[in-house]
Amino acid sequence: MPKASIVVPAFNAAETLPETLRSLLAQTFPDFEIVVVDDGSTDRTVAVVRSFADRRIRVVQQPNRGLPGARNSGIDAARGEFIGFCDADDLWRPTKLAAHVAHLEANPQVGLSYSGSDLIDMESRPLKVAMRPRLRNVTAAHVFLRNPVGNGSAPVFRRAALDAIRWRPAQETVRDWWFDETFRQSEDIECWLRFALTTDWEIEGVPGQLTRYRIAPGGLSASLHKQLAAWDRVVEKLQPLASDFFARHAPVARAYQLRYLARRAFSMGNGPEAVRLVRASLASSRRPLVAEPVKTLTTIGASLALNMFGKAAGSALLARLKSAHRT
Amino acid sequence: MLRIAHLVDDTNPGGVTRYLDFLASDPAMAALARQEIVVVPRNRPASVRVAADVIVSHLAISWRGLPGLMALRARHAGTPLIHVEHSYSAGFVAANVTARRRFFTLLRTAYALFDRVVAVSHAQGRWLLARDVVRPEALTVIQPQVDLSRFRAIPRPSGPIRCFGAIGRLDGQKGFELLVQAFRALEDPELMLKVFGDGPERTRLEALAAGDPRIGFEGFAPDPSQAYAACDAVVMPSRWEPYGLVAQEALAAGRPVLVSGVDGLSDHVASGAIPMAGTGVAALTVAMQEMCGKMPAELLPAHQPARPGLADQWGTLLGGVLQDTLSDKVAQAA
Repeated sequence: MPKASIVVPAFNAAETLPETLRSLLAQTFPDFEIVVVDDGSTDRTVAVVRSFADRRIRVVQQPNRGLPGARNSGIDAARGEFIGFCDADDLWRPTKLAAHVAHLEANPQVGLSYSGSDLIDMESRPLKVAMRPRLRNVTAAHVFLRNPVGNGSAPVFRRAALDAIRWRPAQETVRDWWFDETFRQSEDIECWLRFALTTDWEIEGVPGQLTRYRIAPGGLSASLHKQLAAWDRVVEKLQPLASDFFARHAPVARAYQLRYLARRAFSMGNGPEAVRLVRASLASSRRPLVAEPVKTLTTIGASLALNMFGKAAGSALLARLKSAHRT
Repeated sequence: MLRIAHLVDDTNPGGVTRYLDFLASDPAMAALARQEIVVVPRNRPASVRVAADVIVSHLAISWRGLPGLMALRARHAGTPLIHVEHSYSAGFVAANVTARRRFFTLLRTAYALFDRVVAVSHAQGRWLLARDVVRPEALTVIQPQVDLSRFRAIPRPSGPIRCFGAIGRLDGQKGFELLVQAFRALEDPELMLKVFGDGPERTRLEALAAGDPRIGFEGFAPDPSQAYAACDAVVMPSRWEPYGLVAQEALAAGRPVLVSGVDGLSDHVASGAIPMAGTGVAALTVAMQEMCGKMPAELLPAHQPARPGLADQWGTLLGGVLQDTLSDKVAQAA
């Protein structure tokens, strides 16, 4: 039995998967398996994995179920005491697994160990942006407001902790769920937040930017609305579990979420949408302005500049914007 | 005759009080020792004079109460002290505690003052060990019991399940607001939901139920057997439940029990309660829909689970703790 399992959900990922797998096989911690879940790919994903011919890599194949469904099948197949995730276009720094295993072994009450991330572009070039989250004394409120776990390639769970949130929906016949497969977006935050609200396991980070998280350019403004709708559905789903918690924190959390989407709209070059989202953010709560004035004000300023004076003025502020932390 | 003093600081109606009433009135327990219930002021359990061979705490542990527990230990240095953990569980910590490390330090410190710690469910016992707050050799699991004969005597429902019952204090712990919302999503106009109990959440629950005439608030039932008699099945969507005595009572009354499965409720699944799949309103609606229209007998275990006698379990615990004390004294004398 390997000590740790790394679950790699892969859908038509033949392009990026080799680099991901190389980064995982280069881990300094030796005792692990990689479970690649081929989520019904129609490209050479499976052939790419097989070409590694490495006994540490296993492939699980399934008809397409989506990212949460692929992660769930990976968890189901994983044999390790610790289970990490790395999406098929992201990369792990060589010391990542070692850091999390040491952290989880030294802190038996910690169920979810995560790290910060550096962002990279499609050519794996570093962007001058990093996610440097809070690492200690993380509560459900922190998870909801600022999502310190960050992205789906950051956490390593203790198996026993992950199993505290497993369930078998009535329509499911094959295996249990850990991630909610009815979500196509926001499935990460739904999982982390449900974990924080319904289990007594601690969530804690380790220092360092140990994940390299890939940012795909462009995208459509319509997807921002879908993203917001998915986020709202997370709140709607979990709200009955802790109504006082959501009554207190939801407006602020939504303001942060809208500010994040405004920054996405800005980077798509959509000024009117960015301004609309910034306005909605401020209307939901002024707290981001007080708690993170620089980042909030640059978001407002850049959105307004882009909207009024077009791309050039917006880009002048972009440099400023990029030097701020991005979440 | 051996004398046992049970210290309590909360005499509100509920599972703990019913359990203590039973401990004090059960003939088998009386044959074991003289059982005395001693009500002590909150946080000052040592301020009451107690003459007993063994002292059992049913108190709620808190930082504020810790000095009082230390005083209790000091005042009864030679007397075996047992703590029964009625308050805390994994679900409690998940729902209420943000400074978790500090909280586990509190439990570890408080439990160290006792010779034995009694978990009220196997699930709670596993959790106490997993969180490393009690030494394995100091931990005993004894599930609470009450006199079930009056529940067994209740006539069984004659028809299919139409009326769901919710029984307990109307506070955040019980998760009844999930239940009201989940029930509202069931369309059958013939269904009913009866909520027995009172508490701080009552107004909010009534607001959630407003406009649905199928939902009734029956108030606190001093005799819980009346509550079981009035429904066909019982729902316990609790957020935390160190044991959950209602499940045991409802099964004895021949009422199928749907539970959230947290904490001690998983013990009841082993004896026939039905766990809901997942958490939240939608999952609860699905689980209740599954039960509607079925005959209660179909959803009950074929046999009532055989429980080890309460007095036997307490007898073993007391025997062990007294022997330890005795060997300590012998060792000191030698």
